[in-house]
Amino acid sequence: MSGSLNVAAATPIIIVAGTATLAFGVGLLPGRGVRRHGPALTSMAGIIAAVVMSAVLWGDRQEAFGGGFRADRFSLLMNMIFLGSAFLTLMLAWREPAAVDRRGEYAGLLMISVSGMMLVAGAGDLISIFLGIEVLSVALYVLCALEIWRERSLESGLKYLITGAVGASILLYGLTMLFGATGTTSLDAIGTALQGTSFTDEPLVIAAMALIAGGLAFKASAVPFHMWTPDVYEGAPTTVTGFMSTAVKAAAFAAFLRLFTGVMGDLQPDWSVAIAVLATASIVVGNVAALVQTNMKRLLAYSSIAQAGYLLIGVAAGSIDGAEAIAYYLIVYGLMTMAAFAVVIIREREVEDGDSIGALAGYGRARPVYGVVLTLSMLSLAGFPPLSGFIGKFLLFGSAVENDLTWLAVVGAVGSMVSLAYYLRVVTVAWMPQPDSEPRKLLTVPGPVAIATVTCGVGIVATALFASPLIDACRGAAQSLLAP
Amino acid sequence: MPWVSIIVLLPLLGALSMLAVPAAPAGLRQARIHAIATAGGTVVFTAILIGLFDQSAPNLQYIDHVGWAEQVGLAWDVGVDGISLWLLALTAGTFLLAVLGACWRPPERPRAFLALLLLAEVGLIGLFAAGNLVLFYVFWEAMLVPFYFLIGMWGGAGRARANITFVIYTMVGSLLMLVAILATAFVARDITGQFTFQIRDLAGVAFTDTQSTWLFLGFALAFVIKLPLWPFHGWLPGVYRAAPILVTGLLAAVMSKAGAYGLLRIGLPVFPEGADRFAIPIGVLAVAGIVYGSLVAWRQPTMRGLVAYSSVAHLGFIALGIVAFDVQASQGAVLQMVNHGIVVLATFAIVGMLNRSATDDRIDEIGGLADGAPRMAGVFLLVTMAALAIPGANTFVGEFFILTGVFRHNVWLAVLACIGIAYAAVYMLRLYQRTMNGPPRGDARAVELRAGDLMLLVPLVAAMLFIALWPKALVDATTPAIEQNIAPAQVAADRPADQIAGDIPANPPADAKPLPGDDDEAEAAAGAGTGTGTGTGAP
Repeated sequence: MSGSLNVAAATPIIIVAGTATLAFGVGLLPGRGVRRHGPALTSMAGIIAAVVMSAVLWGDRQEAFGGGFRADRFSLLMNMIFLGSAFLTLMLAWREPAAVDRRGEYAGLLMISVSGMMLVAGAGDLISIFLGIEVLSVALYVLCALEIWRERSLESGLKYLITGAVGASILLYGLTMLFGATGTTSLDAIGTALQGTSFTDEPLVIAAMALIAGGLAFKASAVPFHMWTPDVYEGAPTTVTGFMSTAVKAAAFAAFLRLFTGVMGDLQPDWSVAIAVLATASIVVGNVAALVQTNMKRLLAYSSIAQAGYLLIGVAAGSIDGAEAIAYYLIVYGLMTMAAFAVVIIREREVEDGDSIGALAGYGRARPVYGVVLTLSMLSLAGFPPLSGFIGKFLLFGSAVENDLTWLAVVGAVGSMVSLAYYLRVVTVAWMPQPDSEPRKLLTVPGPVAIATVTCGVGIVATALFASPLIDACRGAAQSLLAP
Repeated sequence: MPWVSIIVLLPLLGALSMLAVPAAPAGLRQARIHAIATAGGTVVFTAILIGLFDQSAPNLQYIDHVGWAEQVGLAWDVGVDGISLWLLALTAGTFLLAVLGACWRPPERPRAFLALLLLAEVGLIGLFAAGNLVLFYVFWEAMLVPFYFLIGMWGGAGRARANITFVIYTMVGSLLMLVAILATAFVARDITGQFTFQIRDLAGVAFTDTQSTWLFLGFALAFVIKLPLWPFHGWLPGVYRAAPILVTGLLAAVMSKAGAYGLLRIGLPVFPEGADRFAIPIGVLAVAGIVYGSLVAWRQPTMRGLVAYSSVAHLGFIALGIVAFDVQASQGAVLQMVNHGIVVLATFAIVGMLNRSATDDRIDEIGGLADGAPRMAGVFLLVTMAALAIPGANTFVGEFFILTGVFRHNVWLAVLACIGIAYAAVYMLRLYQRTMNGPPRGDARAVELRAGDLMLLVPLVAAMLFIALWPKALVDATTPAIEQNIAPAQVAADRPADQIAGDIPANPPADAKPLPGDDDEAEAAAGAGTGTGTGTGAP
């Protein structure tokens, strides 16, 4: 089907991009209620439509725009992750000042960012990948700085802009070199050109690989390209932080899988060491730094660095099993991270410094439901069986062991052990007796926020109980990466 | 009827039902009913299972197998054999007593306490029933969380430090075990062509010596930490001191058996060559633990410390019995697991009661209580006799079995282990004499047994007497399963054929399923697989 337009395959991304435009428009309408909630509701409707279209398209690969964009099981599964994450973010941002007082900017930018992610996941061409990364990043630079009345938020946006630009330029340089080495930008053609080669034959590809890995590591916040993460995560509006740590990470790993497992599969013995080093560094730095954090958002930032390390284990494996494990882990990681951020968001509305760990003291007793969600999320992030985080790590470590990287699985296991110390600390604080000095301060939680929080909690358990069909879907997605 | 699944999941139901119970004091009555009903129900179902159990079958019985994520080898797979049957009974029984104890004298926040006790029960029962390595790991980890909270929220001084030490020690072992589990499955797949985590399908896989050694080491580290074997016992004294005494009793009575059980259920049958290579080192550490634990127990100023270190010594005996690769010694080890569980729970219960007068837990705070508390003195004497394994006591039978079996293969280890028996008399009698005899000190009225105390102690003493009088009831049921489980290790250790009674399992079994997508690979491996294997996982 190469060469034809085939717009049908691109319907989900077109819907999302259209919704973004619509959301900006709705934000300008008169009427306070419409202005405040209209954009979010419009976007939610668009997301549902896009999810439905993605489900309809589920099947073998279809190409659109002459091969520049493709809809295969992998990109569609990733779409679901991005869209789900955006939907939860919109629910959590219900009545947040940043979301409702800015005339549709919040919802519109969020949808633009999602469309960029979908472009990355469905890329059939180096240019699509770069375009997607840029679209998603530019929208996020603005989203981070959306609470313009807070210096921290502005600082966060600026920091993300600068580091993001550096990362993007490194990535672009790498993509250029790949083009130089193979003479084409089409992923399929590059894959054919690299078949059966190794780095020793192609010195240019080594440089390309290193630069691409570095550029994507910026987006995935893997060590040593992580230094922006804690500051940006702490400063950005918490709903945006939640979105960044789930959807953006998923997009970065979609690009990793497309380029490394999908295109450079034959070179796996050569590049897996480099990725493994990134993974090890992320696991070590993320987990050790998280031990001493007192701010929940910073703790989750370092935890997300460590989690990027676990995910990189699946990239290093370079096999279908690795990709399958990453797809599954991205789904559950999204749920558990969103759950954690949701509790922080609820607490932030109630008290001044709601994002410090101390603010959660006794919260489990004051609000048992959210306490349970937080506990589930923390235990699952730590990889505690039988929660879904455990199954995800089990798959990731399994893919490493299968591909002769047992040492990497050991590193991951030891990292998980260290991570337990800080995850359990949060749980302990949440179930401690409430300090008597200050009066208990609880506000009613808006309905959508409560629903989103509980959904995440239920999702953590459901993805563990019904892991089997989900893993099948992930396997289908992983296989489509390598399908001709 | 899925008996085993019911036994595993009933306490979980009880724990979840606590969510529907209003907080104390309004819900105390309801919480008690829920907890006693589910813990009691577990005991009843276990009793039924014991009645139905076929004593002559060596393999797992009453297997419940339900797919969870079968494509990656995860499954709910539980069953019992002669080894796990008695550990199930021990767990169900001790937890019922613990729940009764907690209901009799409710701690702060009784609802949460009871729910966590029941969750811990799920973890332990599930562990003893698991037939799948991943499920085994799931329960192995899952029991850590309730114990963590029980210690952290209801513990005494020094609990935070003790808790962290406990978690770190355990996790070091268990996460390496997770990697070892994965490596086992993949290495076994390269050899047999079947991808499986079922313990019964992995037993008898022809690992090379190197693979077997490394994989055994990955598992054994987790087991010896949990046991704990000297010198991996660093977490034990702090935790036993800081935890609420009820929880300490459970840790010593049941959780410590998880490590020994793992060695016997996974270590010996699946990695016989590795087990053979480490048999002597583990045996030496076990004997060192016996001597060290006994000596330290003798010099302990506190009662809990004394019992904690005596536990290290007793668990050394159990480990020694397992690595002897002898049917009789292993029978003794299984019997001793049950015996030690009962005796140490009774001892900790008595220490808890003595603590009513000796609030600092120091032995020199009290003395001469026999006069004012005759019932206490009587029961305590019985328990002391059982703890020091006096001939005629239930523990004597177990230790005698173990020592006979060990003597057959390694005289020196047996001789050195005997020192432990002598020392047990020294430290246990010291504890009894200091507290019960001599000039009176402390409040005898406070320590005298009351109805609630008797409710806890009478069943334990009755169980001790029952096993002392009729150990055959327990031992006979274990024979076929033990013969089967230690046979591979006996072969690896070149034991004479007349000692090996069990069958060596043959793998690959016919009904194991390969991974989807691995069909070609599996066929190729099965075609080429001559039993030597070209494994990957072991470095």
